[in-house]
Amino acid sequence: MNPIHEFVSRFNASISLDKKLLVKEKKRYFLLNEELKKVIRREFYYAGVYLGKVKNNKFFPSFELLNMIARKEANKVFVDKKSAWLFICGRDIFRQGLVKVHGSKKKSSYTLVLNQHGECLGFGRILDDLSEEGKGVAIRNISDVGDFLRREARKHCD
Amino acid sequence: MMSGREFFVNRYEALGWKFKDAQPRQAIRINSTNGKEKETVERLQTLGVVLEKIPFLNHAYWIIKSDFSVGATAEYLLGLYSIQEAAAQIPATLFTDLKDKTILDACAAPGGKTVQLADLSSNTGVIIALDVEKRRLTALANHLERCHVKNTIVYKLDAREASKLEMRFDRILLDIPCSGNFATDKDWFRQRTIKDIETNAALQREILEEAMKVLKEDGEIVYSTCSLEPEENELNIDWAINNLNLRVEKIDCYGEKGLVKVFGKKLDKSIECCRRIWPGETQGFFVCKLKNGGSQ
Repeated sequence: MNPIHEFVSRFNASISLDKKLLVKEKKRYFLLNEELKKVIRREFYYAGVYLGKVKNNKFFPSFELLNMIARKEANKVFVDKKSAWLFICGRDIFRQGLVKVHGSKKKSSYTLVLNQHGECLGFGRILDDLSEEGKGVAIRNISDVGDFLRREARKHCD
Repeated sequence: MMSGREFFVNRYEALGWKFKDAQPRQAIRINSTNGKEKETVERLQTLGVVLEKIPFLNHAYWIIKSDFSVGATAEYLLGLYSIQEAAAQIPATLFTDLKDKTILDACAAPGGKTVQLADLSSNTGVIIALDVEKRRLTALANHLERCHVKNTIVYKLDAREASKLEMRFDRILLDIPCSGNFATDKDWFRQRTIKDIETNAALQREILEEAMKVLKEDGEIVYSTCSLEPEENELNIDWAINNLNLRVEKIDCYGEKGLVKVFGKKLDKSIECCRRIWPGETQGFFVCKLKNGGSQ
């Protein structure tokens, strides 16, 4: 199983990617379309849909891959407005911020985090079984779209 | 000395513009491929952002008031809009049609116009985006990912080597490296000399020459700079008409006619079809559309 499918399966989901259109360039994975496939040269910097990269044997998904998973049946939680904002600021999700839970509620499961508009903001890991009563932090933030800003900040610090 | 505020201000006056300080307004462009314009605008208004439609552009708004950075909202991070200066939004809109076309964005980073091209082409066809600097390519890639662009290939390649791609293009955007203008750089007058401008103008001619090699017979080039200096604008286009067999197409967009007389030198009359924007609500800008085939 390639790292992309392995990653997607953590959300109890599966996606089909045309192998002919999947390309790897320096540990980064991209999904092309037929048009791009026809003209692409060997060494490129970015192409089509960026899916993620492998670093230190660990797969780091792109937000486009998370969106692709979110369009499927998968573990996902919908959160309220305040929690959505805190999440993209890098914070965890509290129980009271959960509006709806789809798929696994089990501790340690991976889940996507979606806002009230159904847009995927990132993903995290369930800290406590969500089918049981409880309070406090429910989802540990692993990655969120606020990363686009943090990348910019890192770039300026370079 | 051929530099300094007075030198350049005198030049602008000789070109017919009375110098005044400018404060370009912040602007956004809605990425209509990623969401409905009305909904994105409503979401921003709900957050307390006051917007005003930019009269000379589609999908574009001035930011009248915002208590926070519009570059730090969920809507921005989700690619529903881009922050893009108003004049800088003009070039991509001048192409006849972008759907299913093979497009070259020859000097692409940081990618605002690449994303706009992808939006205008509804992610169809192919965009080849070039830039040379690693750091700028990273910014370009982040921009493409954030805005869900799917039809673009980015190469680390100098625009002057575009023919190495062995491709021909229907549309070429030359938003070309230039000397910039005082409206977006407070140190501009202190840092720029006429020599810089001549150096940039020469580089721009090299890029134009290369673009001609990869343009399809019926293709279109849009050439733009954010420079006010005629060497980088009208004089370069006059050179392209005379040396590259290009012709200037009529365009309908914001701005004044291109100058056909520069410091006493008469240029090809078709250059008045170019558009020159002196700084004001927008930054300074120059844009024109070129096609194969000599004077119109």
